[in-house]
Amino acid sequence: MKAKRIDHIGIVVKDLAAGLATYERNFGFKADPAKGGEIAAMGIRNAFVPVGDTDLEFIQSVADQGPVADFAKERGEGTFHLSLEVDDLNAAVEHLRGLGCRVGNPNDGIAFVSKGSTHGVNLQLIQRG
Amino acid sequence: MGAGAKYIDHIVIASNDSAATAKLFAEHFDIEIKRTMSRPGTRAHLEFAKLQEIVLEFAGPGEVQPYDEVKARLGGFVVAVDDIEQAVATVRAAGFPVGDAHPAVQPGAKIASVKAGTGGVPFAFIQYNAIPAEEQKA
Repeated sequence: MKAKRIDHIGIVVKDLAAGLATYERNFGFKADPAKGGEIAAMGIRNAFVPVGDTDLEFIQSVADQGPVADFAKERGEGTFHLSLEVDDLNAAVEHLRGLGCRVGNPNDGIAFVSKGSTHGVNLQLIQRG
Repeated sequence: MGAGAKYIDHIVIASNDSAATAKLFAEHFDIEIKRTMSRPGTRAHLEFAKLQEIVLEFAGPGEVQPYDEVKARLGGFVVAVDDIEQAVATVRAAGFPVGDAHPAVQPGAKIASVKAGTGGVPFAFIQYNAIPAEEQKA
């Protein structure tokens, strides 16, 4: 498998609207109104801000439990995950599992690699198109 | 108005053993490490890969201390701008501290770190071709 490009960087914020407003006011980053929303199954609300060919994904937890909620409780705000685009998600997952990595099952075009398999970096694989 | 961000130039992955983490990413994700550098004076060991336009920078100590396990985390990122002095002035005018622009590791480039107002994200601006060639030689 080959990581093609960095699709986006995930950033956890306490308040999505406030975080977006801060980044727009201070840095000129504007959210793409066509992307993002609430993902109840993941307990998050998100928005995407394009910067060149990559996005910043701003994520707010809307649940008491889950990876984003845990991160917010522990660290408040900050960089959460790196998303790498691959051509074939299923093949990438099988490849990594073959190397002994723990990888979640693909769901809706994404899969998460266990931090235990990446020296602690929260990695997401994503297949576009 | 904003600071004139053009694109994300590089993303930092901080590790207590940057060579080991770079090797893991190279092997698992078929990412080519194009350059390694031990920065004089900072005792840092850096390894660089590039995925399309974005550089992945693996940063760690120059001398790796004994450890129980390699620990890495996603650090911050650096955004390219056309005019770093204008970017610094804009963010300062918004009330947030920003370091002065200073020469970066990259030849001819200047970099400035934003120290607050980023939602806990380490973040910096970089401008390439900010230092004329004659000044670089001096």
